[in-house]
Formats: sequence, C-alpha cells, structure tokens
Amino acid sequence: MSWEMMAVFIGSTIRLAAPLLLSATGELVSQRAGVLNMSLEGMMLTGAFAGALASWYTGNPLIGLLFGTLAALPVALLQAFFSITLKANQIVTGIGINILALGATTLAYREIFGSRSSEAIPGLSKWSPPVLRDIPLWGDQVFDQVWLLYLGGLIILLTALVMHRTALGLALHACGAEPRAVDKSGLSVARLRYLAVLFSGLMAGLAGCFISIGDIHTFTEGMTSGAGYLAIAAIIFGNWKLGRMVLACLLFGAAAALKFFLPAIGIQVPNALLIMLPYVLALIAVAGLIGRQTAPGSLAQPYSRS
Amino acid sequence: MEHSASAMHQSQQHAAKAGQPWLQLESIGKRFGSFQALQDVALQIRPGEIQCLLGENGAGKSTLCNLIFGVHEPTAGQMLLDGGVYQPQGPADAFAQGIAMVHQHFSLVSDLSVVDNLLLGQAHGFLRRGAMADRVARLAEQYGLQLDPHALISTLSVGERQRVEIVKCLMREPRLLVLDEPTAVLLPDEIDALLRVCRRVAAQGCSVLLVTHKLAEIKQVADRVTVLRGGRIVAHSEHPADELDALVQAMIQHAPDSPARPAAAASRSPRLQDEVLQVDGLGVTDVQGVTRLDNFTLVLNRGEIIGVAGVEGNGQSELASVLSGMSSPSRGRFFINGEELSGASPQAVTRAGVGVVPEDRHATGCITDLSLAENIFLNRLHEFQRWGCLDRAAMRAAASELMRRFDVRAASVDSRFGGLSGGNQQKAVLARELTLRNLTCLIASQPTRGLDVGAVQAVYGHIRAARDQGVGVLLISSELDELLTVADRIVVLYRGRIMGSCPAQPDQRARIGAMMAGQTP
Repeated sequence: MSWEMMAVFIGSTIRLAAPLLLSATGELVSQRAGVLNMSLEGMMLTGAFAGALASWYTGNPLIGLLFGTLAALPVALLQAFFSITLKANQIVTGIGINILALGATTLAYREIFGSRSSEAIPGLSKWSPPVLRDIPLWGDQVFDQVWLLYLGGLIILLTALVMHRTALGLALHACGAEPRAVDKSGLSVARLRYLAVLFSGLMAGLAGCFISIGDIHTFTEGMTSGAGYLAIAAIIFGNWKLGRMVLACLLFGAAAALKFFLPAIGIQVPNALLIMLPYVLALIAVAGLIGRQTAPGSLAQPYSRS
Repeated sequence: MEHSASAMHQSQQHAAKAGQPWLQLESIGKRFGSFQALQDVALQIRPGEIQCLLGENGAGKSTLCNLIFGVHEPTAGQMLLDGGVYQPQGPADAFAQGIAMVHQHFSLVSDLSVVDNLLLGQAHGFLRRGAMADRVARLAEQYGLQLDPHALISTLSVGERQRVEIVKCLMREPRLLVLDEPTAVLLPDEIDALLRVCRRVAAQGCSVLLVTHKLAEIKQVADRVTVLRGGRIVAHSEHPADELDALVQAMIQHAPDSPARPAAAASRSPRLQDEVLQVDGLGVTDVQGVTRLDNFTLVLNRGEIIGVAGVEGNGQSELASVLSGMSSPSRGRFFINGEELSGASPQAVTRAGVGVVPEDRHATGCITDLSLAENIFLNRLHEFQRWGCLDRAAMRAAASELMRRFDVRAASVDSRFGGLSGGNQQKAVLARELTLRNLTCLIASQPTRGLDVGAVQAVYGHIRAARDQGVGVLLISSELDELLTVADRIVVLYRGRIMGSCPAQPDQRARIGAMMAGQTP
C-alpha cells in the first residue's frame, strides 16, 4: 500500500463523512434541546433535491445551495410543529416525514427531470487552504475538498462555542435536560426548541446539498441512502458530545471509504458487504454502548407545564 | 384582619415591620373542573414579614402559591399589588413584580454546575461564569448560604440543591419569597439553617411566605400564620407562638392524637414459623464498584415493626430496592415466608404477599397519568377482569370504598393521580399495598415524607393496624422520632452496614444517634 493510496483513503473518508458531520451537528443541537428530530433523512433528501433542481435550473450552484438549504426548513418546521406544538411522538412523526420526503422528491424528480436524468448538474467548486495545499500528495488528495466542507468545519466550531460559552447554548442544553427549569426561568421552551429544530433543518439542507451538488453533481432517487440515520447513530455513538460525535462521523466515513479502498489495494470483498459496513458498524456501536450513554434527560419528551 | 400595632409580634426579635400590605388577595377562588380548590381566600403580605401558610394536604396551599406566582389564574376574585390589579400571565410576570418561588420539586439541570443553573434565563450573549461565581459568594455571605458555585448539581445533597433554588430566587432581589413546603425534604440541621436564612431574608425587607405543616417551624419564625382547610381560610393568627394549639385544631378540625405510644404488642417469643422475612448477608455493589449495602442480615417476625434508622444515603434505598424486587442483590439472599425471592421480579414479590411503599412515589409508586382507581388496583388489575376485559364499574366501586377507608381526598375515583396532593397520593399507595389479599410483610420507605401532621398520624395508624393483624413491617425512615414512635425494634444502617440494633425506646435516642454517626455502640 502506497502513501498515495493512504492519502486518497483519508481524503475520501473526509469527503464521505462531510454530510454526516453537517447534519449530525444540527441534529445534536436539536437533541440537546430535547427534540429527537428523526426526519433528518427526509430533510437531507429534500435539501439534496431542491439544491440540485435550483442549480440545474439557474446554472449557478450557489443559488442551488441557498435554495436547497432553505427548502429543508419547511420540513423542519413540520417536524417542530408536530413534536413541539402538537406534542406528537417525535419518532413516528419523523419516520412519516422521511417517507413523505422520499415519495415527494422521487415524484418531482421523475416529473421534472424525466429523460434528462443523466445530465450533469453544475456543482460547487473545490478549494484547498493556502499552505496546506502545497503539501505534496496531501495537498491534492486530502485538502482539496468542496469549499462547503470547510464552511461546515467552521460551523461546527461556532456551534461548540455557542453551546458551551453562551446563554443561548446553556438554555438549549437545559431545554433537553430539564425543561421545567427553563420554563421557570422565564424563557420559552417551545421557542428554543423550534429554534433548535430549524437549525437542524438548515444543517440537514446543507448536508443534502453537499451530497447532490457538492460530491456527485447529480440527483438520484433516495440518494441520501440512510445518511440521516447514520448521523443520528453518530450522535448516540458520540454520547451526545460534539467532539466524540465528529470522531464517530469520521469513523462511519472511513467505513464507507473502505468500499473504494479495499478493491483498490486488491482485497476482494463482495461489494454488498462493503456497502453494509458503515451501517453494521453503527449498529454494533450503538448496541455496545447501551447503558453507558447519557442522553439528554428529556430527549423526545414533549414539554407541558402540568 | 387588622393592621394595628398590637398585632405586632413581641416575643421575637425579628418583629414584622409595620407597614401596609403591598400584596393583597381578595376573595380569591380557584376551580379545576368540578373541584373547588380555593374559595373566598383573602391574604395580605406585608413588607419584611414571615407569614406561614398552614394546612393539611389538599387544603389548597400549593394552589394558592401557584396563583401568586402566576402558574394558574384565579377563577374568582382579584389580586392587588401596590394598590393596582395584579394579573400574572405566567412566572415571568411574577418575577417582574419581584415575586420569586421555591417549589417543592426542584427544577435544576443536574448535569450543569451551580453557576450555569443560576445563569439560565439570566444571561445574554457570552456567559460570564466568573462574575456569577463572585455574586454567589457575596449572596452566600449575605444570607449565610454555603454553596460551591462550580459543583455539578448531581453531586449536591437535597439541602444544597434547595440552597441553589433559594439563591436563584434571591438573585432577582425579590420583594416576596414563596417557599412551598421547603422543609419536607430536609434533615434537622438543614431545617435550622433554612429557617435562619428565612430570618435574614426577612430582616433585609423581603417578605417570606412559608408553606409548612411543621409546628416547630411556625414557633421559630412565623410573624403571622394563616390556616387553610378545604380551600378556605379557617384561622389567622398575629401571635402564632401563643396560639399553636388553636391553629392545629383549626387545621385538622379535630384534636391531634396524643403522641403517646399505644401499648406495644404483647411480647412473645418468636417461633420459627413466625418469621415472615429473613435476610441473609445481603450486599449491593453499584456499577461504579462501590459497596452500597454490605452483609445485611435480619429476621422480621409476624406482628413486629422493625425500624431501619440511618442518615439517608447509607444503603436504605438499595435495601428497599432489593427487597421489593426492583434490583438484584450482588451477594446474599432473602426469604419471604420461607420462599427464596432474591432477585425475583417485583410481581413475584407482590404475589408472595409483600406490600411495598416506595421511597420515591412518583418514580415507582404510581402512574401519574392514570386515574386514582387504576392506581389503587395497579398491582391486581386481574381481579377486576371479566372475559379478559376490565370491569371498570366494579373497580370504581371497590376504589371508592378504599378511598373512604383510607381517607383519600380527591374529586372522584376517576381523578388523574398526578393531580392529587402528595399526602393523598401516599394514602392511595398505602391503600393499595395494605389491602393485598395475602399481605404478610410490608416494606415501607420514608412513608410520611412530605406529609402533614394529620396524614402522618393516619399513616402510623394504618401501619400499626397492619402489625396488630400479624403483618411484619420493615419501616425504613430517616426520621428517628418516627421510628421511636412506631417501631418495636430499631436497626441502624451506616455506610451500608448494620451498626447495631436496640429496642425502640426513647431513652435509646443518644445511642442510636451515635450509631447513625458511625460509632460502634
């Protein structure tokens, strides 16, 4: 195995982990605030489709990104309305929304793109940071990524800052741990939770756009293929801590990257098994951690005063 | 109610400052559905006074506090604040008017530090934890409240958590501090510390409304006392220290039972078949590897009450949890009527004739979203089954019979259990556990916690009656007075081990106290 292959492997690990990182960051904020936003998958798919559509229509991937990100918001609003205002079961609602998003995007895709489905869609450009881009091998293979990935990294750092150092982060954390305390302090639990779910919608929209117009430059039916669920698994694996969650996303990304890497170094494994790998890993990780996790105390529990 | 100077308290140094009441409640009524929780209630708060609100469970004390704090809205009457109408739409309005409240159930975020909990809802933008820690230190100095600002809430004792709640209120520099049964969960020395804090708060001009049913506290701090019964004000006193008896009478409407011990059950030499519970070397090690209960061995006979004394957190919870089947022992065994039940399910324990009054009523004693009737028969719903369906009419009839027998006060047997007051919930739990068909043993943990004088006497009465019918009772309590009153024999737990045992005689108090502190007798 050469150094070059190693660099390729690391580069594709990061690339494949990126949508997980983006969506899991939003989802973590939502779960910290007490809403298990199960519709992550549906929001990502909606973002991916809307981003691809707008980029293809205008020819400008930036407009695609903007449109795709905003398109996930109504879906997030729907999840928030059901789980916060109507106090419905968040998991059932989320899965319902996922099925709805899969159906709606598939239908719209066939109606709009039809026979032109194989056309390439204008995608986001790549960028690599100065200095780092001059490192031999790594500069090309690892750091030359879609610029959205670097933006994502910045957002993750900002999220960490907000969650740990600001009044807003404290209030969001308390919303998921002990909403009664938030209510009694005079803040609105509902408003904070709406805010958190909408943030997870924005991030899922970005993640969806990364998949369609960042990574592949096309849209296919159901193209998120469970990335939303993987992101949720990464949060559980990371024990609801941002740093560990990032590591979990990278681990899942590496598992996905093996799919390309193993055949390349001559190890023959059935492709279907490799595609399964990240999901199996997530399953093992989640099962092995049962009992040692500390989920937010009121996760998935609607808040009411009485 | 008069405002004359003669109403002033003379015997105490912290006499109420003269002054017009700044908060007035006028013929306030509150109705929940068909249940009239409060009727025609008038109350005045004067600057810098400590007013006690006395009443049995279900008398409407908490409801009254919640009205003042804006959690509920009154259905009749009005509240006046500084002469203007006061209509709080929520706690935020109450805060804005300088009214702060410490609730019975704390609302602290347990995985955050003291400082973070205090900052919640108070800060904007970036958190300035250092400044807040300094502020906590200053308040601690000012009011005599000791607190480590950087400790995680989950590591604090109940008393310390309450101090955090009080500091949370004091930071808003309130004009009125409402304390809803603050001493129900505290140890005796913590109660004294709390009452000292109350006096210092009042001395600085803030009014204190203290909800309680402990007469000793009224004697110590109250400037005035208002007594609620059945949602109405039935008595009011401007010199409570001199009128305690009358106030208690007004509260429970019948003379309190004399605390004298009923004649102890005739002592018999226990025979082998008299043993209802045998515990053999029981040990519990928690997930962190800490030994919580160590080599606990005990024999409980028919018609006997054994009290388990000890400062809380010395293995009592683990003992109760293992004996009720909620968890498995790490070592040792126990037998009910000769049948080994170590590690058996709670259902098997119930079937063997063990009644359990759990320590944490809300977590394991009831299901608050179900009705009173359903909760009363939670452990034997199968008795009301006909063709596989629940015969609700029969269940309701049986429940209302038990409701009457155990004096559970609620609008009806269909009332939501969570809406009942703590005392009535506990009576309902007792009604369920003491009417098990084959009851031979009762495990009761802190059965009178948070109950008022009347309810406490009722609980004692039920436990004694069960003993007299031959039930063996294991009474786990952190209140030594309770054990000395009710139990026949006392064993003392310290760090999970039995330090010793002695007959439950008042003259053993010092000896038991020493054992509770870990000294071998």
